[in-house]
Amino acid sequence: MSTTKREGGPRGEALRSLREAHGATVKRAQALFREQRQMQQSICQFIRDTPKTVPQIAAEIGKPAHEVLWFMAALKKYGIVMETGMCGDYPLYQRSQETRE
Amino acid sequence: MQAALDLADQGFQVALVEREPSIGGKMITLSKVFPTLDCCSCITTPKMSAVAHHPKIRLLTYCELQSVADEGPGFRATVLQKPRYVDAHKCTGCRECEYACPVTVSSPFDRGLGAYRAIRVPFSTAVPQIAVLDIDNCFLCGKCEKACSAGAVDLLQQPETFEIAAATIVMASGFDLTPVGAKKEFGGGVFRNVIDPLMMERFLAPTGPYGRVLRPGDGKEPTSIAYVQCAGSRDQTLGVEYCSRVCCMYAVKQAMLISGALPMAEVTIYYMDIRTFGKGYEQFYQNAQAMGVEFVRGKVASIHEDAEKNPIVKVELTDDGRIVERTHDLVVLSLGMLPAYQSRGAVDLPLGNDHFVAVPAPNASPCATGRSGIFVTGTAMGPMDIVDSIVSAGAVAAAVSAYIRERQDGRTAPHDQQEALRA
Repeated sequence: MSTTKREGGPRGEALRSLREAHGATVKRAQALFREQRQMQQSICQFIRDTPKTVPQIAAEIGKPAHEVLWFMAALKKYGIVMETGMCGDYPLYQRSQETRE
Repeated sequence: MQAALDLADQGFQVALVEREPSIGGKMITLSKVFPTLDCCSCITTPKMSAVAHHPKIRLLTYCELQSVADEGPGFRATVLQKPRYVDAHKCTGCRECEYACPVTVSSPFDRGLGAYRAIRVPFSTAVPQIAVLDIDNCFLCGKCEKACSAGAVDLLQQPETFEIAAATIVMASGFDLTPVGAKKEFGGGVFRNVIDPLMMERFLAPTGPYGRVLRPGDGKEPTSIAYVQCAGSRDQTLGVEYCSRVCCMYAVKQAMLISGALPMAEVTIYYMDIRTFGKGYEQFYQNAQAMGVEFVRGKVASIHEDAEKNPIVKVELTDDGRIVERTHDLVVLSLGMLPAYQSRGAVDLPLGNDHFVAVPAPNASPCATGRSGIFVTGTAMGPMDIVDSIVSAGAVAAAVSAYIRERQDGRTAPHDQQEALRA
């Protein structure tokens, strides 16, 4: 997915060359982005109103718990989710109020 | 960093060549130091800042040493500047590009346990505070360019090489851990809840990936944590026959920090010998025992998992010869040190039997390598802790200073005409 508008001149030509040179990595990164976007939407929908633990989220979205934990660390770092307490030995995560659509 | 600062403070020009986008090495990733339990970041960050702002130090980050050639009485080093895809002079470190980037990737700073974006400032206290783009995980969407009000993102940046003329070279290339999966019977790299000690450092650090100690398999707060000592050292099968010197003390330190962070957790250390050789180290070990850390003398044979992914440690107890199995939530393998120095033809230096940079006369010249004019410091020469690394940095600065002064014609050339290259 190349969202930048087509540029003319030497810079536009150089950017097109860059995209061609990195064709394989661009495709791989696009696939990664789509997968991550879907995972983020699924997680955020599930924890929008009720906080959940990592194993609960993993069971809901059908992903391994360690992948979910890694993703929750990223979402927490960028302020998209927050910890709201504990459920037994597991922290609870919920969608941050200020980032809700 | 310490050697560079010591030399610069004596008036020598120093070029500091760093492979990573930020200086700080492994120390900036640690939680606290033993035996004082001082905050690592609080010690390291001012040093990093001092290096960056010292008028006699030229800081060259995200660079690779390509080759070193003899030139006159000194050397000519060829250095590759890797592209950041960000103009270092324009970037203000505001991280707007990072927040705009849609791709999340694993963070090596957090040992892969945490994440950052494909374009990012490497970590919060990075020096310099300049973003770097991981082009291999970028699909060139341009969001970072649009978000950057300074116009610093430069997707067309190319690698560049340049040369440095130097009177001497100091190798400070550091260490790597022995691979976590080297001993298959311990399940490292396979079992999610069997981790390496630098992962635990990140859990214990205030800037860690989870902000607390959680086991990486499922996010559970562990209530039983075990350490397996000598999991990567003193082992002929790994080709690492030496003692790595720091594993006992970092395990004891981490055990004490865990006891503070998780007061209800039980911490067990399985060991063959506890080596507390430094000043105050034995007292530190005794304090850990007094805090309730359990020390079990024995040889761990293997680790396997139960259905809940809890690691089960099978150990032969030294005292009575029994073989027992004990279940824990999380196991830390106390891995040893390997040299990070891989010359790839850049600097031809003799290595010792342990593959660290050889020091031919350790008693007379503890920092001189087998090549005149090239010195070594810290864990590039062998396993050592932070205290000894700092002492070694002071020693190498004194040795380099003496070497340059001895070679000055009539001692008339000012110091700042000489450049000591720290790689």
